[in-house]
Amino acid sequence: MAKGLEISECQRFGLATVMLRKNANHAAVGAALQVAAPADPTWVASNELTMIGTGPGMWLALTETPSQHWSATLAERLAGVASVSDQSGGYVIFRIAGSSARTLLQRGAFIDLTPPAFGAGSVATTVIAHIGVIIWQIDDVPTFHVALFRSFAGSFREWLDTASVNLTF
Amino acid sequence: MSRLPTGGLIDRAKPLNFTFDGNVYRGFDGDTLASALIANDVKLIGRSFKYHRPRGVMTAGSEEPNALVTLGVGARAEPNTRATTVSLFEGLEAVSQNRWPSLALDVLAINQLASPIFVAGFYYKTFMWPAKFWEKLYEPLIRRAAGLGRASMLPDPDHYDRNHAFCELLIIGGGPAGLIAALLAGRAGLRVIIADEDRLLGGRLLSERHEIDGRPAAEWARMAAAELASMPNVTVLTRTTVFGVYDGREYGAVERVADHLPRATAGQPRQRLWKIVAKRALLASGAIERPLVFGGNDRPGVMTASAVSTYLNRFGVVAGRRAAVFTTSDSGWATAEDLIAAGVEVAAVVDSRTSRHAAAGRVQVAGAEVFLGAAIDDVRGRTARSVDVRMANGQSRRIAADLVAMAGGWNPSIGIGSNLGSRPVWSDTIHSFVLDSAPAGMTAIGAAAGRLSLSEALSSGATAAANVVADFGRSASPTAAPQCSDDPAAVTPLWHVATRKTKAFVDFQHDVTDDDITLAAREGFVSIEHLKRYTTLGMATDQGKTSQLNGHALLAEATGKTIAEAGTILSRPPYLPVAIGVFAGHHREAHFRPVRRTASHDWAVTQGASFVDAGQWKRAQWFARPGEQSWLETVNREVTTTRNGVGICDVSTLGKIDVHGADAAVLLDRLYVNMFSTLPIGKARYGLMLREDGLVMDDGTTTRFEEHRFFVTTTTANAGKIMQHIDYARQVLWPDLDVQATSVTEQWATYAVAGPLSRTLLQKMLPDLDLSNEGFPFMAVAEFRWNGMPARIFRLSFSGELAFEVSVPANLGDAFIRAAFDVGHDFDLVPYGTEALGVMRIEKGHPAGNELNGQTTAGDLGMARMLSKKKDFIGRVMAQRAGLVAADRPSLIGIKPIDRDARLRAGGHLLACDAASVAANDEGYVTSVAFSPTLGHSIGLALLKRGAARHGERIRVHDPVRGADIDIEVCDPVFVDPEGVRVRG
Repeated sequence: MAKGLEISECQRFGLATVMLRKNANHAAVGAALQVAAPADPTWVASNELTMIGTGPGMWLALTETPSQHWSATLAERLAGVASVSDQSGGYVIFRIAGSSARTLLQRGAFIDLTPPAFGAGSVATTVIAHIGVIIWQIDDVPTFHVALFRSFAGSFREWLDTASVNLTF
Repeated sequence: MSRLPTGGLIDRAKPLNFTFDGNVYRGFDGDTLASALIANDVKLIGRSFKYHRPRGVMTAGSEEPNALVTLGVGARAEPNTRATTVSLFEGLEAVSQNRWPSLALDVLAINQLASPIFVAGFYYKTFMWPAKFWEKLYEPLIRRAAGLGRASMLPDPDHYDRNHAFCELLIIGGGPAGLIAALLAGRAGLRVIIADEDRLLGGRLLSERHEIDGRPAAEWARMAAAELASMPNVTVLTRTTVFGVYDGREYGAVERVADHLPRATAGQPRQRLWKIVAKRALLASGAIERPLVFGGNDRPGVMTASAVSTYLNRFGVVAGRRAAVFTTSDSGWATAEDLIAAGVEVAAVVDSRTSRHAAAGRVQVAGAEVFLGAAIDDVRGRTARSVDVRMANGQSRRIAADLVAMAGGWNPSIGIGSNLGSRPVWSDTIHSFVLDSAPAGMTAIGAAAGRLSLSEALSSGATAAANVVADFGRSASPTAAPQCSDDPAAVTPLWHVATRKTKAFVDFQHDVTDDDITLAAREGFVSIEHLKRYTTLGMATDQGKTSQLNGHALLAEATGKTIAEAGTILSRPPYLPVAIGVFAGHHREAHFRPVRRTASHDWAVTQGASFVDAGQWKRAQWFARPGEQSWLETVNREVTTTRNGVGICDVSTLGKIDVHGADAAVLLDRLYVNMFSTLPIGKARYGLMLREDGLVMDDGTTTRFEEHRFFVTTTTANAGKIMQHIDYARQVLWPDLDVQATSVTEQWATYAVAGPLSRTLLQKMLPDLDLSNEGFPFMAVAEFRWNGMPARIFRLSFSGELAFEVSVPANLGDAFIRAAFDVGHDFDLVPYGTEALGVMRIEKGHPAGNELNGQTTAGDLGMARMLSKKKDFIGRVMAQRAGLVAADRPSLIGIKPIDRDARLRAGGHLLACDAASVAANDEGYVTSVAFSPTLGHSIGLALLKRGAARHGERIRVHDPVRGADIDIEVCDPVFVDPEGVRVRG
C-alpha cells in the first residue's frame, strides 16, 4: 500500500435515510434531534449523531453507538417532521485516511476534492469505479469516510487495491 | 557514425543498446529512437502505405508520417509507433513495418510501376464490378497488401491508471509561450497544470539556438521547469498528451508512465488517463513545419528543416554529410546556420523568395551556394544523393547532397482547438489557419496562435497569463516577458513545385501526391471534405499533421479559389492515437463492471452454487450436488424437493422502496392500476404499474406497515427504473404531495421459504411468531426482531406453494441463511436458484420479465380486471387506445407439446397447424419455457392472438432458427394448483 494511506472498514454503526416531510423544515429536524441538519452538502455532528447532507431535504443520519432500537427511536423523534428509513445493514463505510487519501479518492472521483472546493465538513454524492458513493471528509489529516451499498463492497475493495498500488507510481 | 563529437541534451555517459530489425545499435540516454537510428546511419526506416516506397525520418516530433515502427514484441508489440517520440531505453526492440520480405527489398514496391491505377479513388474505380467479388476477393486482397503495422491480436498485458484533476489554468504545451505563462500564473498562486508530450519542458527552446535573458534558451527552459516543479500549486505533466477538448471545459490527456522504461516494475501502470476540468486553458501547442511539395520529397534524407536543427542541437546527430536547404521561410536559414555551426557542409541554400536574407552572406562565407527565387525540382537517388535546383533564370543545376532540409513555413498546431466545432480561419500574416473562436475558456498563445517568432511567443504567453491572473482577481508579479535573441519568422509560401519531374508527395503516410489532388478536383471533388475522403488525404494515423494545408492549397489552386475560400477541416479527438486500454483503465475482464453480491453469496459458493448475471447482481442459478449429471437434473431436484418439502431462495435482489408520508397512499393509487389506499395495515397486495403509454411497466407487492408507511417491491431488473419513476412522480408530477421515497433494496436480505414444510421450518426458527393459517393468513405481514434487530415476515408466494418471505438487515443475511439451514437439516431443506424459481413461476403461470416485455397490456396478461375504475392512475387513458384493447390482441396462454417428449423453446412463433410458415400467418410467440418436473414434460407461456378464448386448440410452434416445428395444445397458463389451494394452506 502507498505511504500515508490507511484503509479500514467501519464495523458497527447505525445509519438511516432521513427525508424532510412536506411543510417541515431543517430547523425542525435540528430541534427534534438536537443536532443541526445542514441545508447544503456538509455534515454536522453532535450528541453521538452525525447528520450528512445528501440532497435537498435529505440526510444520512449516522451513529457509531447504535442501540438495537436506534432507527425506530430516530423515527419517533422525527415523527411529523421527517421520514426515516433504516439503512444500517444496507451500506458499508470505508475509512480512508492519511496524506495520500485525497490523491487516492481523486483517482476515482471526478469531482474536485481539493480545498477550498472540498475540505473537512464537506459531503459529496458521486461515483467511483461505476459505484455510487457518498464521501464525507472528517478532518484535515485528511480522513474521509466513503459509504456505498453493501453489495458493491467486493468490487470497491478491488478498485481500492488497484488504485492504492497505482498511487505509488 | 553521424553523432557529433559534442553537444545535445543527451547523456553520453549512459550508452543504451537497442535493436532495429534485429540489428544491435547503440544510443544514449536522452535519445529518441529516431535520433539514435540517425546516429547509427540508419536511413531506411519503413515502407509507405500504398507504393511501398522507402521512407526515413522526416520530422522530430509527434507529427511524423514516415518513421513508424512496431515497438516491442509479443503481446506488447505496439504497431505504428512514431520513432521520433519514443524515448530510447536499454534493450528497446523495434521492427520496421509494411515490407515483405525485408525492409531493403520489398516486393510490393512494384506498386509504384502500376501507380497510374493507384490514383485517388482507385478502390472505387477498380473494384466496382462484379459487386459480389468485393467481400470475398477484393477486400481481403487489399487488406493484405495495404495497411500499416499489424496488431498483436493478443490481450493487452499492461494495466492502466486514471486520474482526475481540477485547475484554474491548464497549459497545453511547455514551449516558450507555455513556460512563461505557467511561471507567471504559478507565481500568482493559480492552480496550474502544464502538460507536454515531451519528456522535458522547453519545446523548441531545446532544439534551436537562442538566448533568453542572456542564457542559452535550453538552460532558461531547465530553470523554468525547475521553478515550476517547486511550486505546490503547479502540476507538471511531462510525457503527457492532451488529446481532446470536451463539453464543460473538460480535457482528456494521456500520461505515458512506463513506456520509456525497459521494464515496468510490478504493478506499475503503463499509462494514465487524465480527465481535467480547467476553468481556463492556454493552447501552447506550438506549430508544425510544413514540408515542401517537390519531386522525391519523400526520399530518405529529406527532412523538415526544423527536424534537421532538432537532431543537431538537441541530440547531437546529423542525418547526412552534405546538406541542401530548400526554404520559403526565415527559419530555413537558421537551419543552414545550425548546420554550418555544427561543422556540416552546406552545399546550397535554395530560397524561393527573391529577397536576400540577412544570413545569406554568412552562409556563403561558409562555402554554401545561395540560390534566390529558385526551387528544388527533384531529389535524386533511392536515398537522397543529389538535388536538381531550378534557378531563377530557369536553368537547372544538379548538386550533390545526401541531406535535404525543407522549410515550407509553419502551421499552428491547433487540432484540439476545433474539437468542439469552431472552424479555423485563414491568416494572411502567417499563411496558415489559426483559431478564430476557441472552445469556451481556451486561448491560443505562442506559435499555436501564429506568434511564430520567439519574442512574440514569449510576449503572447506573458500577456495571456496576466489576463487570466487578472480574471481570477489575483495580482500578477510585474514580470515582463524576458528578453530574447532575434528570431525572424517571415514566410512566403510555395505550395507546389510545378516543374518537378518525379512524384511529389503531399500526404506521406497515405501516399497522396500532388497529382492525386488535381485529379480529384478534375473529377469534381472540389469541397475540402470530399477531397479528404476521396484521396484519403489526412486520414492516416498522423491525421494529416504535415499534409493537410498543402493539400488544401493545391485544391484551392486547382479550383481557382483562395485557400481562405477553400477552407479547412475540423479535427476530432484524439489528437494522437490513444490505446483503448487507457480508456478502460481498471474496468476490464473481471472488473469490466462492478458486481453486486447478495448477503448469502459466500454461503452459496460453499453450497456449490453456479451464478447468473442479473444486471450487476450475481444470483445463484442452481446448487449442483455431487453426482448430478446436468443442470436440468439439479433444477428438477430443487423444484421437486421444494414442492414436496421446503426450499429456500435468496430474493434479495428484488427492488425495495420505502414510501412514507401522509400522501403515500395517494401516490401509490396513482402509480398502480389497482387500489392501495384500501390496503389494511399489516397486509401486502400485488400491484401492477403501467407506463404513461398504457403498456405494463412493472409488478410487485406492496405492504402497508403503518397508516403512512408503505413498502414497495419491484422486479430485480426494474429496481432502479421504478425508483426513478417514483421520484419523478413525487418531485415533478405531484410535488404538492407529502411523500418521501428511498431505496432500501440494500438494507434487506430477503429469503423466500417455500413448500408444504415451510411453516413448520419457520415456526421452529421463529417460535415467538404465530404463523398458523388463522394467525398469519395469505398476504399477511409482520415486523419482528431477529437476533435483536428489526426483521420482517411476509406470507407471499411466487412458487404457488405455501410460502413466506423473511427479511433481515443485509449485514445479518449470511447469519440468517446459515441459521435456516441449521434448523432445516431436519426438514431436508434445499436451497434453490433462479432456474428453479423460474420453473415454478412458469408452472404457476406468473408473468415475469419475458412477459412484462414492454409490449404487453394488463389485458394481454389476463389482469384487465385489476384496472381500477374508481380512480385515475398513470397509463389509464392511453391504455384505452383502440390498438391496446383490440379483441385480437395477443394474450397470455399456457402451451403443452402434443408429443409430451418434445422440447419447447422460447422465441418460437405460433401458427395454425396448416398455415404456411410466413409472417402474415404469425399469431404470436413463445415467451417462457421450462421442463416441468411436476408434470413430467415441457411447458411454456406464450402470447397468442385471442389466446384466452382458445384453450384446448391445437396449433404449432414454428422455430426456423433451431429446428423442427412442434404441435402444441393451448391451455390455461396456470399448470399447477390452478385453484390456489396450496398457497392458502
